[in-house]
Amino acid sequence: MLEPNKPGNNANPITPASYGLWPIHFGRCVMIGLVVLVCSWPAGTAEAEKKEGPPVPKTRKNNLSPLPEGVQAAISHGPYEDGDCSLCHKNKDRKDPGPITGSINELCLGCHEDFQKVMARKSSHVAAKESCVNCHNPHNAKQSKLLVEEANALCLSCHESIRNLVATAKVKHAALTMDAKCANCHNPHGANVEHLLTSLPFDLCVNCHGKDGVKDQDGKVLTNMTKLIADNPELHGPVAAKDCSACHTPHGGDNFRLLTLEYPPQFYSSYEPKLYALCFDCHEDSILKDAQTTTLTRFRNGSTNLHYLHVNKVERGRTCRACHEVHASKQKHQIRDGVPYGAKGWVLKINFTQTPTGGSCAKTCHETRGYVNSAAVPEAKKADAEPATSP
Amino acid sequence: MRRRIVLVIGCVLWTVVASAFANAKIGDRIENVEMPMIGRGKHHLLGDSNVNVFIFIKPGLEHSRTALLQIVRCEKEMAGKSVHWSAVVSDRIATAEVEREVKETGLAMPVLVDAGDALYAKLGVALHPVVGIADKDHKLVAYQPFSKVNYAEVIRARIRHALGELTEKELEHALNPPEATQGGDASVALRYFKLAEKQFQAGNHEKALENIKKSLDKNAGLADAHVLRGNILAAQGNSSEALKAYTQALALDPANTNALKGKSACQHETR
Repeated sequence: MLEPNKPGNNANPITPASYGLWPIHFGRCVMIGLVVLVCSWPAGTAEAEKKEGPPVPKTRKNNLSPLPEGVQAAISHGPYEDGDCSLCHKNKDRKDPGPITGSINELCLGCHEDFQKVMARKSSHVAAKESCVNCHNPHNAKQSKLLVEEANALCLSCHESIRNLVATAKVKHAALTMDAKCANCHNPHGANVEHLLTSLPFDLCVNCHGKDGVKDQDGKVLTNMTKLIADNPELHGPVAAKDCSACHTPHGGDNFRLLTLEYPPQFYSSYEPKLYALCFDCHEDSILKDAQTTTLTRFRNGSTNLHYLHVNKVERGRTCRACHEVHASKQKHQIRDGVPYGAKGWVLKINFTQTPTGGSCAKTCHETRGYVNSAAVPEAKKADAEPATSP
Repeated sequence: MRRRIVLVIGCVLWTVVASAFANAKIGDRIENVEMPMIGRGKHHLLGDSNVNVFIFIKPGLEHSRTALLQIVRCEKEMAGKSVHWSAVVSDRIATAEVEREVKETGLAMPVLVDAGDALYAKLGVALHPVVGIADKDHKLVAYQPFSKVNYAEVIRARIRHALGELTEKELEHALNPPEATQGGDASVALRYFKLAEKQFQAGNHEKALENIKKSLDKNAGLADAHVLRGNILAAQGNSSEALKAYTQALALDPANTNALKGKSACQHETR
């Protein structure tokens, strides 16, 4: 029996000796291939790949003629401005330039040579590779960069799902409408990061969210992430991986703070698994489901699951943010120093101390309480730790 | 200044990313446990390949689904390499749900069932999806949680690094790709140079000279632009200015054969 995933498992290798019979083999292979393909194509795979893959490229039907006389152009292409029609067309005559002398991209990249390297990057734009005139008018245009349409409208004319999201999102992201708009984050020709991102998400986000005074659509001042991270070395995994998009949807969404999935916006919340969908997309939800455990979490006193104890309440259940700073903290496990309490911004200290066998929180929401999670601790030490009851 | 701050933060981030499972650090030996397999029989977590990849998944969650689709791609692309693949699911997940996920993602590797979350607890797995990579001696060499961007690229790079196909520097390049810059004066200079070259070929010396000036205004260090300026001036019969242009080109690129030829022709002309 062939073992899966082992090299050399090709049971019927094509050898030079079999080439002489290729027409018979070929016909038979096509028939067998078609039958196998039809019979074995997993129903879900096509749909899954469709969701994963890039948007289907559409060749736009742009009017590539020069702007009519009297219409003010924002920019003219050098050769057109100079009347050098024959650089691209058969004739020099502006009134009768004739057909172009090569393929569109060959002509463009003949002068715009640097774009060959840009478009050869790992993430490249299908529309650009297909034809430069999908987006640019080679003569003149009312838009900068010789774009045939306003930049956002141009991008969204093909990227329909983003267009729909932007139109319907309850929470908007200003990055889509300010400065270079889509090009704030994407390079429309080619990039080294997926989705044509010019850098990893974090490096893009801090261009705005690394400043003081940035506000959300409701006027609430947002955290300066550069400052936060400089002062707090323990980073949440996605932050460390520069992957803000693991939790935030950059094009707009329905959850507060552009969160990709649900998370309780309030400090206290009754426990509902679906309210924590954001956290549980990566973290194990059973840490809040099982009252007793010796494997799911180290935040337990013996087998008493303290995550369960804090969060799993009908009223005034503590949300993750009660104890964890989701982006970065001074303490490990994103344990925060304190919790903002009341309208005046007073910070109630948590005073968490980690010990080799567990930890304790002192003079905080509750009196000082410790926990022991290690079975290897001598009994004398275990007795020192006051068991947690109710936080 | 801001770029420097970002770079410093980048370095901090990089050191943090190189973490591991709570109970298994990089370099620790991973026990090659035998586990029940979805569908049939039993299978070992690791194999005797040069690299062993194991992924903890949780069917039904978006990140797990996204990760699996990309892992499937990686597995296909790396077929033929000495890589052993396995996926691990908690026995809390219903078999039917796992089977559906396997079918819908096209996952071909064995899917092992972690009874009582024993492996989760032993390694200290706190996240899903998360990938562990062990070498042929079953020592953990890489730990990679999910990321929404560049995930397949990172997984591929980590495996290729473990196989010895990528250097540290190449791995770092994959984990922290350089900013995708574009344009700038150098690009614009090149563009004007190319336009001037075409205009010169078409016999439009005036326009060609105009555009080569624009090119050199943007990047005076472009030796080929000086050469072209020399060629245009020479074609216009201005040998003394052409000679100066070739000399400038040779100051930038002493081995430039076109500049040497042009200079020699000009010197012959002016004698």
